[in-house]
Amino acid sequence: MRQNAATPLPRAPELPRPGLGAVRVLAWLVVLGLIYAYGWKVTQIDLVELATKWSLARPLLVDLIRPDLIAREQLTQVNDAGIGLDGTVAPPAELRGPGRLTLSTTSAKIGDRVTLVGEGFAPSRPVELIWRDQAGSTATIGRAMTDASGRFEATISIPDVIGTEHHLVARVLLEGTRLVPSNALRLTLFRMVETVFLALMGTSMALVLAVPLSFLGAKNLMSRSALSLSIYYLVRTFFNIMRSIEPLILATVFAVWVGIGPFAGVMALALHSIASLGKLYSEQIESIDPGPIEAITATGASMLQIVRYAVVPQIVPPFIAFTIYRWDINVRMSTVIGFVGGGGLGFLLIQYINLLQWRQAATAVWAITLVVAVMDYLSSSVRQKVV
Amino acid sequence: MPGAAVRIEHLTKVYADGTKALTDVNLSVNPGEFLVIIGLSGSGKSTLMRCINRLIEPTEGKIFVDDVEITALPPEQMRLMRRQIAMIFQQFNLVKRSSVLTNVLSGRLGYLPPVWALTNYFPRNLREQAMRHLVTVGIPEKAQTRADQLSGGQQQRVGIARALMQDPKVILADEPVASLDPATSHSVLKYVEDLNRRDGITVMCSLHFLSLARRYGTRVVALKAGQILFDGGPAEIDQRRFKEIYGEEAVEVEIT
Repeated sequence: MRQNAATPLPRAPELPRPGLGAVRVLAWLVVLGLIYAYGWKVTQIDLVELATKWSLARPLLVDLIRPDLIAREQLTQVNDAGIGLDGTVAPPAELRGPGRLTLSTTSAKIGDRVTLVGEGFAPSRPVELIWRDQAGSTATIGRAMTDASGRFEATISIPDVIGTEHHLVARVLLEGTRLVPSNALRLTLFRMVETVFLALMGTSMALVLAVPLSFLGAKNLMSRSALSLSIYYLVRTFFNIMRSIEPLILATVFAVWVGIGPFAGVMALALHSIASLGKLYSEQIESIDPGPIEAITATGASMLQIVRYAVVPQIVPPFIAFTIYRWDINVRMSTVIGFVGGGGLGFLLIQYINLLQWRQAATAVWAITLVVAVMDYLSSSVRQKVV
Repeated sequence: MPGAAVRIEHLTKVYADGTKALTDVNLSVNPGEFLVIIGLSGSGKSTLMRCINRLIEPTEGKIFVDDVEITALPPEQMRLMRRQIAMIFQQFNLVKRSSVLTNVLSGRLGYLPPVWALTNYFPRNLREQAMRHLVTVGIPEKAQTRADQLSGGQQQRVGIARALMQDPKVILADEPVASLDPATSHSVLKYVEDLNRRDGITVMCSLHFLSLARRYGTRVVALKAGQILFDGGPAEIDQRRFKEIYGEEAVEVEIT
């Protein structure tokens, strides 16, 4: 189009005068400065403390870089012999050490004196004599020393115990130690598996409920009538409220409800994930491209075929991607949820922190870091493949 | 008159918001014709096409395809009737995440038992037929590629192959080349022209460029504000007619 020269130009809108603009900017800067100064005071920011008292945190930080992973274990030879009290038949021996234990009698009463002979052990080593009762608790009740041929003899009196079937254990301490995974590491590995599954169960439970709900929460499907529209608003409101409740709070509630442990964590994550997955799913349904639906309809396809060939390819891959991403997020969240009794690695970590066992806490912290990093990598590579 | 591939009588379409898209349109398309529909955006071209396969329900009037009054058909029979009427779209409307082969095969869905969809089953002979159609449009090597990996021109050729799977008597092409560059436009339209000449498929095709209309159409219909303004041979559109159709300020742009 050509502009006709005769038409007068429309008046340009008035611009603010440049001087006034500068004053306004200055005023805003002063206001922002005041706000910031107040914030500094309210949050008690103290840079001097940060600089001078760093040594207080030093032991923690040092322990963080040397997590408790391996332990030295005393090499031993262990054997036991069963003993029955008050006429009970003695239980069979359970430990298969290299030696052999013989009791002067295998049936006795509390207070009786029993002679114990051990043979076939390492020569000239100290021996711990341990009583293991029917419930499995142990107590050291005597000590001995093996002779040059690996034999020892000791007399003990039957302690005042409850139950009838007991074991007398001889633990010969050998020279040297061996390296084994530390207790903290073993517990951490177990909790790590628990954490991953906690997140998986929470996510999959949420998936089952979020998929049907997401269709009710998709505006393009639900704007047909006043009734369906009100269902839409109801579902969306539920999503928004549930999403804004921290899983931490949900976990606290469920820890009281079903008891401390991973199940409380599963429930907290599931409830929170229903809302966040539901919202993502319904947004995906809303953004569906009507073009393929129109095209497949035009071929004479039936409703089922239209859904299968035009709708499913558009929503299923993103659904899978969102779900895997949610699982990834839930693994992260489950560690924090553990702090309030939701099980998993977080539960272990908070116990170590409360006991001031920093090296063991460090083990848990590193495990969390590892799990989160691996999940992050896996989920992003799977998501890239799916979508 | 009977024997027309598509016959439209007193067709009027008023949308729910009161927009009058078509007003008393009468049109008869002979078998084997390559009918080009031209007109400004919003003149009713797309509405007219979508009334023919009832993707849009006409407000008034009758439409006959192969002398069957499709405006009177119940939904299930209309669905079966749609198999005869293939459609090609401006935005290709492929299922982007599915393979090219699946997209082509989906053109056949109207002939297949719906339950097969649950297992994504297509018989071997159909898969071979789909491959043949991909050879026809020159991209058999793309069969396993995801549809969104293809260029615009290739996607539209998949759209044509999908239309072919229907064994259609009529092809409705709604601005099939409006999203493509000039060279690709010609290659796509040549495939459509081939189908028209060789297989005798009736084509109704809306186009933006008059030069393309003159080159491919055996007959041109011009729509303006939902009414037929011109109906005749492609050579009959002179400067005066052009200005009537597109308005006084329009200047013809050539696409070669």
